[in-house]
Amino acid sequence: MNIKKIELFFFGILFSMLAQLGHAEAFHPGGAPGTQTIDGYNALGPKVEQPIEFPHYTHANVMKINCMYCHTYARRSAVSGIPRLDKCIGCHKMIPEVRDRPRIKKLFWYWDNHISIPWKKVHDLPDFVRFNHERHIQRFYFQDKRPVREVCGYCHGDVANMTTARRVKAISMGWCIDCHKKDHQISKVNLKTTNGPNDCWMCHK
Amino acid sequence: MSLNNLIKNWTSFRSRRPYLDQYKNADYKWAMVIDLDACTGCNACTTACYAENNLPVVGKERYEKGHAMHWLRIERYWGEGESVPVDMVPDRGAQFLPMMCQQCEAAPCEVVCPVGATHHSADGLNTQVYNRCVGSRYCSANCPYKVRYFNWWQYADTAWPNPLELQLNPDVSVRSKGVMEKCTFCVQRLRESMDHAKTDGRLVRDGEVTTACAQACPTSAITFGNLANPQSQVAKKWKNQQIALEKDEQKKDENLRGYRIFEEFRTYPSVVYLERVRDLEA
Ligand code: SF4
Ligand code: SF4
Repeated sequence: MNIKKIELFFFGILFSMLAQLGHAEAFHPGGAPGTQTIDGYNALGPKVEQPIEFPHYTHANVMKINCMYCHTYARRSAVSGIPRLDKCIGCHKMIPEVRDRPRIKKLFWYWDNHISIPWKKVHDLPDFVRFNHERHIQRFYFQDKRPVREVCGYCHGDVANMTTARRVKAISMGWCIDCHKKDHQISKVNLKTTNGPNDCWMCHK
Repeated sequence: MSLNNLIKNWTSFRSRRPYLDQYKNADYKWAMVIDLDACTGCNACTTACYAENNLPVVGKERYEKGHAMHWLRIERYWGEGESVPVDMVPDRGAQFLPMMCQQCEAAPCEVVCPVGATHHSADGLNTQVYNRCVGSRYCSANCPYKVRYFNWWQYADTAWPNPLELQLNPDVSVRSKGVMEKCTFCVQRLRESMDHAKTDGRLVRDGEVTTACAQACPTSAITFGNLANPQSQVAKKWKNQQIALEKDEQKKDENLRGYRIFEEFRTYPSVVYLERVRDLEA
């Protein structure tokens, strides 16, 4: 081992030590050090390969379609729902000019073969967690009249600027609680508390 | 609370009625009435509870070891003494009593949990947070009604072989080995109806939500509802029986049938039983 190599070697050690120091400073609940963090929480979820690379950007941003046009159940049930295939086809039958694009071809292939698209879950909560879309949408969209992209974006990020969605918020317990602790203005239906519930059995099951 | 503190304040600790005033202005206080006169011991409630709450059927062998997982059991008693001579009505001597968590207001199980996994919710439920439970089973030892069940085996792996897992209720978690389980008045149903009610800007109406056991009972022996709403069936029945939640000693008419089990332990249970009336002449 010549001098240069030894120097390099020590440099390497020093460097990795420094890097570890840097990691130790940030707080990574539930996440491996080195992954992207938002507000101290490990946030960027795994990239999910969908059967069709669905461009949220085109639909939600360019076409300005309300998120709840496709995710119908968000306003009235716990789950927001993956749109049924006939919802996609209902529109795309009327748009012949994009009919020859590969993704749309794939879409019609599923339709013609009577197979529903096997979408993969991007925001997958543990089985012991009960999250309710209804309450959040009712509170912030219908009562507080905030824009839908903002309301959905609290948890899902700026989906309107994504192609296939990817988890960009932590969606961990501490992250939920952080928001529930915030003071939200009292509204007609929610007269007693200004913040979200704090009881274990509101979210756990 | 240190031991010194506890001994010093023992009297006040014992006479404490923690939730005496909590429900004066509260929206919800879930409670139950079980009419033993109507109960035929058919076990429909138990079955419904199994189905609703993802309870595993453990099998004979484990049942014999006391590893059963029924959150609701039908207790069977035989008449004794002069009031109900067994030999007189041998086929009708048995008396049935559905026993589930009594949702005590001063729950003995709550104070002993080392990790606070069992706690009291604002609407008067004794809840169990399965993720937090470390399986000390101290709560079970302290429960006078013996309605807490310990998951001794990883039942989740064996109780629902494919495709039986499709019958599981997605609103209830499938508990793993090493946690204490119990009835929580089908809290998943309560939460759902409370959510919908909140969206509509009202309170849950009487009869809008009920527990699985009450729903399944063929004789409607079980009444479930919101005690904080004086118009509810449950509140009316409690009142008719002259039973008040915050009292441990009920002074009431001799002819009334209502009672709460082990009231003298000052657990302030939320379940009222109506005594069975027997006609020995028939
Ligand atoms: S009946 Fe037992 S488990 Fe239920 S609240 Fe009372 S002490 Fe706890
Ligand atoms: S209230 Fe629900 S959990 Fe409790 S015994 Fe009845 S069915 Fe079972």
